[in-house]
Formats: sequence, structure tokens, C-alpha cells
Amino acid sequence: MIRMFHVYKNYPNKIQALRDINIHIKKGEFIFLVGATGAGKSTFLKLIYRGIVPTKGQVIVDGINIARLKPGYIPYLRRNIGIVFQDFKLLYDRTVYENISFGLKAIGATNFEIRQQVKKVLNLVGLENKRKIKPHLLSGGEQQKLCIARAIANEPLILLTDEPTGNLDPYTSWEIMKLLFHINIRGTTIIMASHDKLMIDKAKKRVVRLERGRIMEDTERGTY
Amino acid sequence: MIFENTGFYFREALLSFRRSTLMSMAAILSTTTILLIVGIFLLISVNLNLFLENLESQLEIVVYLEDDISQAEINNLKSNITSIDETKEVKFVSKEEAYQNLLKNLGEQKDILSAIEKNPLPASFEIQVKDPKMIEQIANQITKFKKVEEVEYGRETAERLLNFTYIFRIAGMLVLFLLVFASILIISNIIKITVYARRNEIEIMSLVGATAWFVKWPFIIEGFLQGFISSVLSTIILYNFYFFAVNKVHQAIPFLPLVVDNVDLLPMGIAIVLLGSFVGILGSMFSVGKYLNV
Repeated sequence: MIRMFHVYKNYPNKIQALRDINIHIKKGEFIFLVGATGAGKSTFLKLIYRGIVPTKGQVIVDGINIARLKPGYIPYLRRNIGIVFQDFKLLYDRTVYENISFGLKAIGATNFEIRQQVKKVLNLVGLENKRKIKPHLLSGGEQQKLCIARAIANEPLILLTDEPTGNLDPYTSWEIMKLLFHINIRGTTIIMASHDKLMIDKAKKRVVRLERGRIMEDTERGTY
Repeated sequence: MIFENTGFYFREALLSFRRSTLMSMAAILSTTTILLIVGIFLLISVNLNLFLENLESQLEIVVYLEDDISQAEINNLKSNITSIDETKEVKFVSKEEAYQNLLKNLGEQKDILSAIEKNPLPASFEIQVKDPKMIEQIANQITKFKKVEEVEYGRETAERLLNFTYIFRIAGMLVLFLLVFASILIISNIIKITVYARRNEIEIMSLVGATAWFVKWPFIIEGFLQGFISSVLSTIILYNFYFFAVNKVHQAIPFLPLVVDNVDLLPMGIAIVLLGSFVGILGSMFSVGKYLNV
């Protein structure tokens, strides 16, 4: 599903965010991306959704070489990728329902499809009763669930999550984790950048550790 | 794609007006103010232009005729002059008329003329021209006709006046250009702020896989509406304010020429509305583009 060959990424301020990254992530895998702040986790995720291009090397996502992707085709790549942010990036002047429907409308879904899909994902994350309220009335965990619902609404092949449990209490974090496992079981490849030792040790999934831009460890059923 | 989702784009644009009423109102009011300034200057400049045209139209050529000219020769000469394309109006003043005019102008001092037995004044043609710049050329042409004693057109006065009106017009154009340029900058900056306030929305849309045009259209429509509403508003204010001012000026200085014809004013209103709408559209298009590359 995702392959990287000798990928380097330098930022304009000469910082080497990633150095010689080689990895193969198969379809349906669940991967924890761990490492200290500044280790390159966010850069790694950005490469996959073509938020940036590599300075050197190749990134292949679902058969597409993202460095050669013309700007006009980026939206179509992103329709296969769901993204969940630590800071949610929700639209606070719209309802829960609208936060999801607006993303679906953006990719050309019909009104009927939108109604069906929004209902389905809200049921999945357990927010079906709150579809008419604005996100600021939701708790942190609920906002993160909404964010996940939005990310999976168009049934993407890949789900990228950047520290989705970073600001949540352990109980809520585990709920979010269970939700992600559930989504993973249905076939979505998930890459989750995280600091959450408790969750990672409990989950027993593949762990990729980044240190100063390099992969220092890549273990099946790893720990933090 | 635009046709497919037109309804959605318009709904989004109108919704965004409602979601950020204060922001939109502020943008509309400041744009209206800028366009008012442009409009006021436009009105001043068309009136100034009318005033200058009036001044220029007072330039005329006077053709003095030889005393022994016959009626047939006068008619012949008149048709020759009229056949010159650039002449607008040709008026014959006979010796007698010239004498009466002089009497009138002298008023109480008309006794001076009693010392002279014969009417010393020549008959003449007073010629108005279409383009004041052509006055010298026309005068030279007439000089060559038979029975013409002298051609006069106030050469120096004409040159000075034409120089003056030329400089005034160029300066006016320059100020207008600068003003329109400044208003484009200011209006597009106002729009940039409203777009900046919604950069999250643009970023999220782009991340879920919306195409650039899908993101842009609602903003373009919103920018157009903002510009259109502002320009219509400022045109209405200008129109009412202008006719109020014209009335006041006419009461004070009745003979001052002022533009009051709708045929002359309408193009200005249209120009302001076009300027507002166009800058609204382009401003939002470019501003959105900036936040699209995430």
C-alpha cells in the first residue's frame, strides 16, 4: 500500500527531517509511529498525503509516485486517505452532521449518498444523537471521534492519525483506540503517530521508531 | 463542475455571509467607502471636463471680409467655409450688425462714434470649430480664400488655454488611475482578511480531497457579492448625494455648467459596479489560492 525508498526530506532551514527512510506498509496493517517530538513523525505522515514532496527518494502510495503527481491530481490521491489531527481541525460554526457532509460534498457525493454515509459513520463512532449540535459543545473525546468519522466517511484505503489520543484521558484514549482497531479490521490501513506508551504496549501492533529522522526500530508486535 | 454544484456554491457563499455577519458587514462597509471616494473623484472629473470643454468651445475664428465683397461672394465664401469638415457653426455678421454690436458695447460712450462719418467696421464670419486643436489649421485654410481681409483666432490665448486643459486632463487621468489602483489594492486586502478568517475551512477541504475549483467557487461568489453589494450601495449614495449637491450649487451659481444628464452619469455607475464586482472576484480567487497549498 505504501512504500518508501531512500527518502530524505530537508526543510528550507537546513533541518533534515527525514534521512534514508525505507519502509513497506502492507494493505490492512496497523502501524504505530513513535519517537520524540521533532523525530520526523509528522513529516512522515505529510509525505503520504502529499502535503510535501521528498527532497530525495521515492514515495509510492497505492501505486502512485507522489513526487511525480501533478497538483491537479492531489485531490484524487487524498480521497483515498483519511487524516485525523491532534488539534481536530473541525469547523466550529457548523454542526456535527455538516462537518462530515461537507467533506463528502467536496468529493462529489450525491445528497442521498451523503445522508447514508454520515448516518453510518456517526453510528460507528457513537455520535448519532449529537448530529445537530456544534462541535464546541462536544467533549475532547467526542470531538476526536467526530474527526475520525469525517476521515473515514468516504471509506479511504489509508487512515493517518497524528497523536489522536494526545490530549485525552486514558479511558477515552482506549475508546478511540478500540474505534481505530475496528476500522482497521474492516480493511483500512492505519498509521498512527503516538507518544501514548500505555496504548502502544497494550495494542501489540507493528511499531516503527523514528529518531532524528531515521528509522531506528521496526518491530512486529512491538512496544514503546 | 460549476453547473453541477451551482446551487451548493451559492448556498455556501450565502451561508458564509450569515455565519460571519460582522466580518461581511465590515468588509462591505469599507469597500463601499473606498468606492465612494473613487466615485466622488469621477464626478468631479467629469464636471471639470465639461467645464474645460465649455472653455474650449469659446475659442472661435473671426474672418474679416473686404469691404467690396458682393452678396454672391459672401454666399460662396460661406459655403466654402462650411464645407471644411472641422467647422461646427458659421455665423455671418454684416457691417451693420457689427456697428450695432459696437454701439451696444460702448453704451454711454457711443458718442465717440459720431466723429466718424462712415461705418468703419468690416463684415465678418464667426466660426466655431469641432476640435479646438484644429483651430490654427482651419484659420490658415480660410486665409487663402478670396475676399478675406484678415483671419483672427486669438492665437496665443488659444495655445495657452489648450495647454492648460491638456495638463489638467492628464493630471486628472493620473489621479484617477492611482485612485483606482489604490482601491483595487485595498479591496483585495479586505477580501484577503475575510478569506484568512476561514483558512481552516480551506485547509480541511483541501485535505479531504476537494479540487481547487470546488474550494474556490463559494469564495468567488462571496467576493463577487461583497463587491457587487458595496458598489451598488456606493452608487446609490453617490447618486443621491450628487443631485443634492448639484441643486445647491445651481442655487448659488446658476450659470455653472454641471453634468446632470443620466446618459453621462450612467456609465460611471456601471464602471463602479464593474470595478467592485471584478475586484471582488479576482481578490477572493487569489486569496484562496494562497491557502490551498497544504
